[in-house]
Amino acid sequence: MAVASNPSAGTRGAPIFRIDSLVKEYAMGEVTVSALRGVSLEVKQGEFLVILGPSGSGKSTLLNIVGGLDAPTSGDVWFRDENLSAFNERQFTLYRRNHIGFIFQFYNLMPNLTAKENVEMATEISVNPIDPVEALALVELTDRADHFPSQLSGGEQQRVAIARAIAKRPEILLCDEPTGALDVATGKIVLNALRAVNERVDTTVLLITHNASIGGLGDRIIRMRDGGIRTIIENKRRLSVDEVEW
Amino acid sequence: MKPLTKKLFRTIMKTRGQSLAVAAVVLCGTACFICLVSVHRNLLLTRDTYYAQYRFADFEIMLERAPNTTLFKLENIPGVRQVRGRIVEEVNLDLPGRTGRLVSLPNRAESPLNDIVVRKGRYFSEGAQNEVIVSERFAQANHFSIGDILRITVDGKRHALKIVGEGLSPEYVILIRSVQDMVPAPERFGILWVPQDFAETALSMSAAYNNVVGSVDDPEQLDAILDRCEDVLDSYGIFAKIKQKNQISASFVADEIRGLEVMARIMTTVCLGLSALVIFILLSRMVRNERTLIGLMKAYGYSNLSVATHYVLFSLILSAVGCVGGFAAGHAMAGGMLKMYAQFYQFPLLRSQVYPDIVVKSLGIAILFAFLGSLSASIRASRIRPADAMRPEAPVIGHRVLLESWGWLWVRMGFTWKMIARNVSRSRFRASLNAFGVMISSGIIIMGFFSLDGIQYMLSFQFELAEKEDVKISFAKEMGKAALHESARIENVLLAEPLLQYPFEMRNGWKKKDVVVIGMERDGKLRDLMNTDEEVVDVGERGLVLSETIAEQLGVGVGDFVTLKPLMGRITKERTASVSKVVKQYFGASAYMNINALSRILGEPFAMNAALLDTEPGMERSISDQLNDAPFVSAVEVKVDALESLMDTIGQNIAIMTGAILTFSGVIAFSIIYNVTLVSLAERQRELASLRVMGFTHREVGSILYNENFVTGAIGLILGIPFGMTICRLMVNAFQTDLYRMPYHIAPRTFIIATVLTVVFIAISNFAVRNKIHGLDMVEVLKARE
Ligand SMILES: Nc1ncnc2c1ncn2[C@@H]1O[C@H](COP(=O)(O)OP(=O)(O)OP(=O)(O)O)[C@@H](O)[C@H]1O
Ligand SMILES: [Mg+2]
Repeated sequence: MAVASNPSAGTRGAPIFRIDSLVKEYAMGEVTVSALRGVSLEVKQGEFLVILGPSGSGKSTLLNIVGGLDAPTSGDVWFRDENLSAFNERQFTLYRRNHIGFIFQFYNLMPNLTAKENVEMATEISVNPIDPVEALALVELTDRADHFPSQLSGGEQQRVAIARAIAKRPEILLCDEPTGALDVATGKIVLNALRAVNERVDTTVLLITHNASIGGLGDRIIRMRDGGIRTIIENKRRLSVDEVEW
Repeated sequence: MKPLTKKLFRTIMKTRGQSLAVAAVVLCGTACFICLVSVHRNLLLTRDTYYAQYRFADFEIMLERAPNTTLFKLENIPGVRQVRGRIVEEVNLDLPGRTGRLVSLPNRAESPLNDIVVRKGRYFSEGAQNEVIVSERFAQANHFSIGDILRITVDGKRHALKIVGEGLSPEYVILIRSVQDMVPAPERFGILWVPQDFAETALSMSAAYNNVVGSVDDPEQLDAILDRCEDVLDSYGIFAKIKQKNQISASFVADEIRGLEVMARIMTTVCLGLSALVIFILLSRMVRNERTLIGLMKAYGYSNLSVATHYVLFSLILSAVGCVGGFAAGHAMAGGMLKMYAQFYQFPLLRSQVYPDIVVKSLGIAILFAFLGSLSASIRASRIRPADAMRPEAPVIGHRVLLESWGWLWVRMGFTWKMIARNVSRSRFRASLNAFGVMISSGIIIMGFFSLDGIQYMLSFQFELAEKEDVKISFAKEMGKAALHESARIENVLLAEPLLQYPFEMRNGWKKKDVVVIGMERDGKLRDLMNTDEEVVDVGERGLVLSETIAEQLGVGVGDFVTLKPLMGRITKERTASVSKVVKQYFGASAYMNINALSRILGEPFAMNAALLDTEPGMERSISDQLNDAPFVSAVEVKVDALESLMDTIGQNIAIMTGAILTFSGVIAFSIIYNVTLVSLAERQRELASLRVMGFTHREVGSILYNENFVTGAIGLILGIPFGMTICRLMVNAFQTDLYRMPYHIAPRTFIIATVLTVVFIAISNFAVRNKIHGLDMVEVLKARE
């Protein structure tokens, strides 16, 4: 099968992921560490999902598998009607290339490319990209476009990372503690940017955080513990970023 | 095992690719050292014992004919230890294209000067007249066996000689008839040792000699002694006085031995120097990587010294591993090289001995270089304070590069190329190291192929540009015009031209030199007087054309006069001649003159002692067969034969040379590029992994590193070409002797080969790195901040 880039496929509310009894185990010599013990979950298109949970509960593992960075020990991840478990290396690459945007706690920008060039790097391999200037405008960084990462603050660098991730018009943004290294004010700017993308471009967002109060931003809040999902809370009234306190 | 030691071995295992590459460069360096130094020593030792054991003469004087009574006078000259008069004559064999040199030996074996080693068969039997001992390689190449009859023509008379043995002589370690031949042709030219009695009878020289060899107490006094000899032999027509060091074979061997020493020094320094550089990058990276660890170890109480030693030890271990491989490879190479020498040089035995002191020395040198390479990183490690380690490393700072001022180009460049451009300028040291490695490697390639180019160029220069004849007939004495007409009338001969070659002592004041003057027709079609710029020089009507070497030695220029004293034949009257031109030539000791003018100097209206023939294609051999036993013909040379056997010898060596060049340049280029790339991969794995996360394929990620190597490689190649050319230039100057000037001529092919090989080497290094790019673990790399 080929992973087609089809950003407009599906409509808001249609299922985009179906995760079915996902298990991830690491063999460490004699002992086996279970990072995920049978996780099942459905994610809808355009949803803003917040994942909470203590350290070691398997949040990153889940996100990495969904994003095609890692393969599960057993279980399936269906992306629409394609099963990620059947993907080979090349298909994973194409999948990430065409559908997924990643944002990490550390920004991982290319130190010797300017902000704009960092974004261009992503658009260069994309079929239907956003103009890099526009992507930077979305995160309100137009005036810093020609600066190198070392000339930007942490929050600004994270926003470049977001611009870089969204410039490909991914259908899913996977964010692993994007505000973990930022102060409150900067964190809010970053979250605002994510929220804007979610609302304006209909991008599905999965966001991992240690900060329970950020949960209020999501459509649903998922709590993980010991490699499993404990609770899923439907959030009737999504808060705006300014309403969040932490 | 102590934990630090354990860590050492783990580190080596973890970086085994890089460590092996370092060891490989060390291996090359030590192998070179051991090979070249032991071959050098073996050759030197073999030569010196050979010369001593078989009493190689300190001087040789060639003359027209002198009675044996003069030998007494020579022996009585103070400083002369021993002399031997002998008869030496160039002869034609009854086999087409084969010529020989008759050299007389005492009738009975008695350890004379320039003795021979009988390798097979025996020495002449008592009273036997027609026995011959043939030089070993000549016998082998022509499949002569003991007991075979060899027919030769001497002085117009035919003789049948029975082969009783095969021999070698220190006089002919390298068997080349004349300098112009450049490489030995074992099939076409050999030495025929005959009993003194036979030589005297055959050449009607009873109780006389035409060649005398002698030994002296002190070789420093040779000049004075030779002058005294000249006084004694003045009236007997001396035409050459040769010191041992100027003797063809001896000077070739000495040059080679000197060359080996130079090569040993250069190659060892280059290889081990590079290994030090690679160790330097490897360790610098390691220390930077292990800052935290080093800080911790110090916090736990490890001393600065033990931390520094740890890193020095790392490089010493790699170096030692390389050395051990180098010992084996070096001795194997020495064996191969000796085999190659055995092909050119005829020593009674060439030892491939292992010299423990060379092994020890090479280990010492390798360790010294390894130590130097690790010094800076170790010092840096020992300076790290426990507190420093906990502070994060300074972030990488992006910079604009010069290229960006070329706006239109920069805009058109993809981000990959922007990244490469900025990376190269960011890690300038590493980029220069890469370029440096490629520069050295391509320099070696150019240097290696240059020596082949030189030989091939000389061949085509000599045989296509300068000597256009198909057959050359040499006559035993000076002939008149009739000989030319007769030559022209031979069937299948299209054109015949005369040549007159005559030895003179050329004098300007107290400066003098023995020179063969070649008299040629002014508008001859078969011989051209060429300078090193491939221009034909007009020989003029009168006056001498001198090679630059002679002109310098005599201190004369155009318009000056030199005195010519004939060194042969009946004519003894000295004449003066003016120098009309000075030309630059590859073969040093020649002078030219219009054949008519030269004839007049000899007191004749016209004289010639050789004829050059242009023949119908393919008929050369039958013509030479016809002429072999014609009266007054002393030698017939067929050019195609000469070329063929030269090409054979050269072809064999091209293979060996090419192999050696490929290995060395390849290992050097590979180990540097591979190491540098791995270091920069390690430093940028976070960047590269995040590219993979974004959906870049392995190939796209790799191409950043690959293309970076091609860019630095291209810079290296661009520097390597002039670098290689400079080395070649130096080689030309270093190997310039009285006899011979190496052409500075690099075929365009060599540059193409260098370029292609460089690309191949870079591609191989890139391929080796490929696995590491495939192995980039995205999850792992992105999880931790290093
Ligand atoms: N490569 C690995 N080998 C062995 N165990 C691993 C590996 N990666 C993760 N684990 C284990 O899997 C479990 C889940 O890890 P994961 O990174 O998903 O946690 P997390 O919820 O993201 O924690 P944190 O909030 O600290 O980032 C942990 O117990 C961890 O030790
Ligand atoms: Mg995590």
